[in-house]
Amino acid sequence: MSRFLTPAKIGLLALIELYVEGAVPNEGIIPVINFLASNLTDCDLSPTAGNNFNPTTDRWKKAESAIRLVVSIKDFEALLSPLSAADKLPGRRLWDRFLEKLWGIDSLHGLHEFFAVMPGLLRKTREEMRRLGLDEEEEQGKGVRLGRNSPFGAFVRRAHVEFVRMKFEGVTELWKMFVRYRQPTAGYWTRRHPQYGGRLSFDAVLMEGEEEWGGRETDELAVMAYGRMLLPVVGGDRETLPVSTDDVEGLLEFQIEQIQKYGIRIPPQIRDRFKTFLKGSHVVPSLSHYLSFSDSWRSGDFPTSFDYLHRYFDYTMLNRDRLFYQYALMNLAIVQSDFGCHKEAVATMLEAVSTARENRDMTCLNFALNWFFHFGRAHPHLVRELENSSMLDNGKETLAFLRVKAKETGMWILWGSALLSEAKLGMANGESVSVAFEHMVRSSQLIVERNMKTMMGAQLSMNITMWDRLGLSPMSSMACQVFLSCHARSSVFDDELKITYRLAGLLAGKGKYEEAFSLLESLDSNSLRSAKPNQYWHLYRGLLKLRRDLHRNNLPAADTLLSQLLQTGPEDLDQDMVFIIDTLHIESLIRHKDFESAFTKVDSMITSLRENNRDIALRIRLLLAKAHLFDSINRPEKGFSIAMRAASMAWRALLIPLLWQAIGAVANILNSLSEFSAAAQLLLSILPRVLETDVLFTAGTLYNLLADARMGQAGQFFYMAGSESSTEQEKQRGRRKQRELAMRAHAALESAYKYFERVEDVEKQGEVLAKMATVMRVLGDEGVSEGYAARYLSLKRESERVNG
Amino acid sequence: MGLSAKDALQLRETLQIAVVKCSERCLYHAAKWAAELLDALPAPSAADLAATKGLPTTYIHPAFTPNHDPVEAALEAKELSRYLLAKSLFDCKEFDRCAAVFLPESSLGEMVGTKGDDNTTAEGRDKGKPSVVLPSERALPQISQKSLFLALYAKVISGEKRKEEDSEMILGPQDLGTITNKQLVLVSRFLTKWFDQRKSEGGDRAPSQGFLEYLYGMVLVKEKNDEAAMHYLIESVQLFPWNWGAWMEITNLITRLEQLNKVTPKLPQNIMSFIFHAHASINLYQQGGDTAASLNDLLAVFPTSSFLLTDKALLYYHSKDLIAAEQEFSQLLGLHPQRLDALDHYSNILYVLNLRPKLAFLAHLCSSIDKFRPESCVVIGNYYSLLSCHDKAVQYFRRALMLDRSCLSAWTLMGHEYVELKNTHAAIESYRRAVDVNRRDYRAWYGLGQTYEVLEMHAYALWYYKKAAGLRPWDGKMWQAVGSCLQKMGRDRDGIKALKRALLADSYYDSSASSFGSAGTIDRMTQMDPEVLLQIATMYDRLEEEEEAKAYMELCVAQEDGGVTNEQGPGQGDSIGIRGDSPGSDDGEGGGERATAAEGTGVTVATSKARMWLARYAMRGGDYETANRLATELCQDGVEVEEAKALIREARSRMEQTGMMES
Repeated sequence: MSRFLTPAKIGLLALIELYVEGAVPNEGIIPVINFLASNLTDCDLSPTAGNNFNPTTDRWKKAESAIRLVVSIKDFEALLSPLSAADKLPGRRLWDRFLEKLWGIDSLHGLHEFFAVMPGLLRKTREEMRRLGLDEEEEQGKGVRLGRNSPFGAFVRRAHVEFVRMKFEGVTELWKMFVRYRQPTAGYWTRRHPQYGGRLSFDAVLMEGEEEWGGRETDELAVMAYGRMLLPVVGGDRETLPVSTDDVEGLLEFQIEQIQKYGIRIPPQIRDRFKTFLKGSHVVPSLSHYLSFSDSWRSGDFPTSFDYLHRYFDYTMLNRDRLFYQYALMNLAIVQSDFGCHKEAVATMLEAVSTARENRDMTCLNFALNWFFHFGRAHPHLVRELENSSMLDNGKETLAFLRVKAKETGMWILWGSALLSEAKLGMANGESVSVAFEHMVRSSQLIVERNMKTMMGAQLSMNITMWDRLGLSPMSSMACQVFLSCHARSSVFDDELKITYRLAGLLAGKGKYEEAFSLLESLDSNSLRSAKPNQYWHLYRGLLKLRRDLHRNNLPAADTLLSQLLQTGPEDLDQDMVFIIDTLHIESLIRHKDFESAFTKVDSMITSLRENNRDIALRIRLLLAKAHLFDSINRPEKGFSIAMRAASMAWRALLIPLLWQAIGAVANILNSLSEFSAAAQLLLSILPRVLETDVLFTAGTLYNLLADARMGQAGQFFYMAGSESSTEQEKQRGRRKQRELAMRAHAALESAYKYFERVEDVEKQGEVLAKMATVMRVLGDEGVSEGYAARYLSLKRESERVNG
Repeated sequence: MGLSAKDALQLRETLQIAVVKCSERCLYHAAKWAAELLDALPAPSAADLAATKGLPTTYIHPAFTPNHDPVEAALEAKELSRYLLAKSLFDCKEFDRCAAVFLPESSLGEMVGTKGDDNTTAEGRDKGKPSVVLPSERALPQISQKSLFLALYAKVISGEKRKEEDSEMILGPQDLGTITNKQLVLVSRFLTKWFDQRKSEGGDRAPSQGFLEYLYGMVLVKEKNDEAAMHYLIESVQLFPWNWGAWMEITNLITRLEQLNKVTPKLPQNIMSFIFHAHASINLYQQGGDTAASLNDLLAVFPTSSFLLTDKALLYYHSKDLIAAEQEFSQLLGLHPQRLDALDHYSNILYVLNLRPKLAFLAHLCSSIDKFRPESCVVIGNYYSLLSCHDKAVQYFRRALMLDRSCLSAWTLMGHEYVELKNTHAAIESYRRAVDVNRRDYRAWYGLGQTYEVLEMHAYALWYYKKAAGLRPWDGKMWQAVGSCLQKMGRDRDGIKALKRALLADSYYDSSASSFGSAGTIDRMTQMDPEVLLQIATMYDRLEEEEEAKAYMELCVAQEDGGVTNEQGPGQGDSIGIRGDSPGSDDGEGGGERATAAEGTGVTVATSKARMWLARYAMRGGDYETANRLATELCQDGVEVEEAKALIREARSRMEQTGMMES
């Protein structure tokens, strides 16, 4: 395998030569230059398909086309045959001119000559012109010449230098490969130019010599010189492809970049092609081990990925000394933590830090520190010892330090992520929202300034969280949409998956389960081949389903799902996910009326959270769950202090959706204490804001509570109406009031029913229907009441049928 | 020279036996050569077979032909198993172990005397012998000649291998060419003793098999004892003429034609000596009818022999018939596509003919067959040299030398490349090595001269040019070089002589009329090098023999005639572009001139100079008419126009003056 030159590169050179000669017609200039540019440099000038972006095909298009170009000449044909040549002769295509160039290289010597004239395409340097005694105008008059440092010029120069540096065997190898590469066009060429036809048209020396040597001898010579290439292929031993180390390395880098940037695996067909590439080479670049490592890492093949990582660093150790040892360790630590070996990961990372310190590698140290911070957030118990002994006892100070360091060393990504982390930390601690906003704005500015597209995912998911916490769900869903439609293609797939889930969660909150599911299903199947995203994808789907099943009161299905979800421990998932699963578990327990175990679970969770100093939102959520639990056992007043605490905490941290829930809990308690008008007042004041949050279940619950309060009020008037001491007028007023309040309760119940129906919560629907029937009976409208009762019964039957 | 059916059959049988014998003794190349020759014999036709029906029909494999010497046969039978072991070891390239099978290292030391008396002369050792311990009495072991040869030959080869391993990088600081084969002394002493013993035993013994003589000759050649070596080698070919190795050694020993003629009567009269004679003549750059005729005779016997065909091509090459040589080689290539031998010569021819695509193909072919053969490397080097990639060419020549230090053409060609790279010291050293390897290589001698001339050390250069001219007395270039060198040294008389000889030599090729000595032939010449003529003329001019000078100047101008002018680039003939004048490409120029000979040289720098001189001369002599005409011609040719115009003006004015005077 040659280092740089391949037949395809000769083709590109010939095309450049054609371009310089002015053979390319005006309408062909843009496609030709685009073709050359996309093959010489990374840029692709063709207008990308803006809206119908398909991640699988588009992302790997470059690799595809690179492989195709190397393997066959067809790409040139596809490009050039539609173009007519800027030529006197009519009917001649650019393809003909191109073939003329290629077939003009009619012998090994022709190849030497082809490369010998290459420097002539370049503009002469001042030095050369001085030596040749030319002046600039004279030089300029000679048509297009390539600048020495232009992409084309650089390519031509590089090709020339590489050719000169080649050993003779290398040149013959290149020549043979070139002959084979060109051979598919032989038929077309000889049809157009019969004078060059013949069996041995690929080598002029053989063709001329045939008369002298005679047919059989010439064949013998040809076989001697060209080897097995001319004979029919024996057995399944496929010939090696004409690739160069340069091509392979370019492809490798591209693939690794894709994997690292988007976190997706290589599509199988491209991987297979690439394998055939490597088959022919004696030297397997060590980078390919890294590729295998990344791939097996993504595929979740733990032993293989470790094996390849070690192999890669063993091979790179050869030429790069021990300079990269800390990076090896860092990689190892990341992989270990990814596979759930957190303790080993910590040890490895500590070693990486000490090595980096030895080598004074600030970049590595900063990365390690950043990693430790996030790791510490996720697994506080593992890093506690470390934190105790270090100066930076608080996460906040670590982050401030990181931020300053990153700014000093110009590591923009680290800087941005430190800012975001700071915002997140502030929010989790329930601190000022505006400070968090400030951090986010700063990081946003940084991202835009430095064009760090990959950071966009983190930035926007932070945004989404922020709007969520502030209860502005339209804003957060907008942020989701923005990310998915604008930034998804340039960021890691994990982000895309996460944000899609967020959006799906929002939709599910509105009761649009089908839409949510179809959103998750629409994700790119190739990206889902990676183990981690795949796992998360399944988890997300499971969670959505579980929520729906719980709402539908489909407990057996929910149990099955839960039993699966509970298997995934904290090693595999991040803590938030575990928390969500646990809360759903509690809810399921409540629905099973297993209050005992629900209570113990909530209690243990609260203590563990307090120990680990976790996100304030989670604590509020648990408090609410506990209050709800008390409510479920018909002792809501026991949860009074809890509800009040939750409400005040939520208020302080501006966690609006939770605040409304907490207030709902308070109102419930007020109801139970017969403080109906206070409860109604509270509820009436928050309900409009609740509707803003788009969490329909909460809205339904609150309406339900409102209806209770109204009924309670109505009941007070009932007493007034029914009591002996009151006057007729008062009775009248009482009855009227009672009727009015009952109507209001009915209206509230209807709203509650609407929302519960939307989220498909069968039990609540039933409860609301029962209440409505009662209200109607109170109002004396038996018929309507009967109707509600009938609906209630049919609902019951329906749900029983569904749940089997 | 056809052979009768019986003779042919006999020849076939003899060759078969020769192949077996040579390969029994691990003389691989000799065996290969004989086998190739055997293969070139046409298969006997049915009629021939029928004619020889009388011969015994039972077929015996040549390997089992009986040994006619009973003593040797008995010994061989006794040692068969040990011999087989030794042979296998040799084949596995374990030379020391092979030697030790028959001649253990310790006993060998005793047999030929210990290290202590290394410095004593042979007589001294003989005297000391009785006083030394007993074992030296029964010094020589009783083993068959075949085994003895194999053992000693293994010793020599192992010594060669050591030498190869010890030698430094090619042309490195330590590479002085002084490393010798340390086993040679041992083997040579052993063989001296063996032959002494044999002689003392008297003539009642059966004649030896001839191989030990060959080995001894070979060792003596390496010790530079040429006389004795020749003696033993001739003895060897007398005893066993089918060993081509021995013939090759003789060929290498002969450096002059006279020597060849002296040796010839001593040789046995058979087909081998016939082949040898032809081959040796070609190696001595002989040409002419008899060599060609004998080659053709041989080719009638062995019509497809690659060896003979190569020789034929080389014959053409040496007699400067490059086109024919190229054709011969090309056909040879078609016949034996896998054969790399002598392809380096072919590449030289292609180089000179400037057949770049073909040379590229040849290089490609060689490198696909075996890129680690010296020949392949030389071919590739030549190709790079043609592309003016001199550093790469040097690299490949070095590789060739790494593979085989005695690769003559690589040394010479590397010298040429170093000259191109302006590294004269390395060039001189390379040429020197070439000459050391083979003293008959005129190109290396010429190159040495050339390099010294560049360094302006003319006395040295002259010496080397003379050597080259001595090797190729009929090659005009050599004499021309000698002449110009003499001219630069101010020895005009000698220079003129040498240059005249150069003219003669050139004419010898063209007219095939070998009439040396008489100056009169010059006038009958169809074509002469104007350059040389100009040089002669200027020398005569310097000697103030104006008449002679004028004659030569006129002759020089006369070379232009002949119809179509073939413009030679200015400066080409004049410059001392090294490669241009070096042997390889002056053959090229020779070829080029041959091609254009019929049309005359056209206007060249030399002829213009001559014309200018003539115009001036005419001016001096008052022949204004002629001066005017010549100057006008000069103007037409566009050479030195200004000066010519001045001459015209002056001539016109003089003419007018004289015209006025007359009128």
